[in-house]
Amino acid sequence: VDSSSSRRGVVHRPCSVMLLVNPHSGKGQALSLFTGHVQRMLNEAGVPHTLVITERQNHARELVREADLSQWGALVIMSGDGLLFEVVNGLMEREDWEEAIQTPLGILPGGSGNALAASIHHYSGAQPVSSEELLISCGFLLCKGLVSRMDLASVHLGSSPSNPTRLFSFLSLAWGFVADVDVESEKYRHVGAARFTMGTLVRLASLRVYKGRLAYLPVDEVDGEEDGQSPDSPRQNTAHLTFHNSHSLLVPLDQPVPSDWVVVPEEDFVLMLAMYQSHLAKDLYAAPDSTLDDGLIHLIYVRAGISRTALLRLFLAMEKGTHLANNSPHLVYTRVRALRLEPYSSKGVITVDGEVVEYGPVQAQVHGGIARLITR
Amino acid sequence: MGTTASQLRKDLLSEYQELTFLTKQEIILAHKRFSELLSKEDRNVPTPRVPMEKVLSLPELKSNPFRKRICHVFSTSDMKDGSLTFEDFLDLLSAFSDSATLEIKSHYAFRIFDFDDDGTLDGGDLEKLVNCLTGETDDTRLTTEEMRQLISNILEESDIDKDGTVNLSEFQHVISRSPDFVSSFKIVL
Repeated sequence: VDSSSSRRGVVHRPCSVMLLVNPHSGKGQALSLFTGHVQRMLNEAGVPHTLVITERQNHARELVREADLSQWGALVIMSGDGLLFEVVNGLMEREDWEEAIQTPLGILPGGSGNALAASIHHYSGAQPVSSEELLISCGFLLCKGLVSRMDLASVHLGSSPSNPTRLFSFLSLAWGFVADVDVESEKYRHVGAARFTMGTLVRLASLRVYKGRLAYLPVDEVDGEEDGQSPDSPRQNTAHLTFHNSHSLLVPLDQPVPSDWVVVPEEDFVLMLAMYQSHLAKDLYAAPDSTLDDGLIHLIYVRAGISRTALLRLFLAMEKGTHLANNSPHLVYTRVRALRLEPYSSKGVITVDGEVVEYGPVQAQVHGGIARLITR
Repeated sequence: MGTTASQLRKDLLSEYQELTFLTKQEIILAHKRFSELLSKEDRNVPTPRVPMEKVLSLPELKSNPFRKRICHVFSTSDMKDGSLTFEDFLDLLSAFSDSATLEIKSHYAFRIFDFDDDGTLDGGDLEKLVNCLTGETDDTRLTTEEMRQLISNILEESDIDKDGTVNLSEFQHVISRSPDFVSSFKIVL
């Protein structure tokens, strides 16, 4: 019996909160951040919780797939985005995914990729903060227990178009210059978000062009349901509709895109970034107009031909979210509901929520407000 | 050394192949290209040196933003003028070859970026590095503020012991996480 549930607003907690921690996350600090700050906050707020320490890649995914969710009022990830990725996909792999995905999810930054935590913090209207302040702020939001809806995107990829691999993504799909591999340890492969490192400068020296075909469904074109609706209006009943009709926006990868899609004429790119939240990393405020459940994919791509200086300026401006105002002729920003990318270059990296995925044709579609996130 | 402009002795060829990451074919090609850079008088000198400007005229180096530093790092000239002997040239090609290890490449990259040759990469080195990338003219360079922001980002990411500079192991640590580094750090004739 949970006597403290009355203090907690919308999160219904018959039982406790499962806290998942990756002990290797964020330079191994996640666990000590928990015992140092979070545990105390949760105890003071009277939030019963159980700590689960993940032991290997996909441990969290399997655990969530098999768990008896009636026991848990919320699943909280204290780690980088990689662990949340596993939890979201684990929930969606269940038979009862429709109910499972309504389990409130929480995120506390503790890892290297804290883009979602940064986005949440940003949506709450607070000023940009340091990592520790971010942690404490997210901790407070967690204790308040208010739940909002969050967009997810389904991402289809794989070498057999008739049976594609399907992943669920809550943050981003990236290709080209932005994808950078960060092999943190032998147990976990986490792709760090694009940050300015020495490696980035070196790669800037031999700035390469990524060839491919990009196509998308612009926002105004979706028939019926979006007519007259602004992107910010609530979408309680359309969440299920978009999911069941997921194939109404995407056609199999081996078929041409529907006629109402826009096909980008250029085939030479430096990067492509599809975002459904505002931040790609704590210091990469990539899609300033994005909100948690705006039901949009914010598509940003940079055409080949951009000078190194301009690209440097772009990343510097992205720290403050002013890159879209730069009016760089090589940068394109547009809001879409779905997109498809067919890379032609034989070598390259594609990441989904910062995780490296199979390189090849990929397409994605947004599902508005389908998940639930603990936030203001 | 005993090489002539027209031919490389077999025993030297084998020796070079053992000492570098280059194949015999690559060494022979390097010898040909090196000889083409020599002036007529230099061809009969025992250990000729090609002046830096001539080396920089090679198409494979011409558009490399760090070409001058590369010459300085591999040059064994007492005059510190960036001139290269054939063996210097082979060392250069070896480090930039397909077969060179990540450790070798990152070691040389570090030396190339260490503009003041003091063994660490500080703000001044990073600034020169960025300027090599952005170009020679005022309108292509970053502003002072942009430069400051960029250098502070890089140091934050790479300077693990927070001493304000990036040392070799911090550098190698960062580079090891960049998958494109090896393929972008390449010069093949």
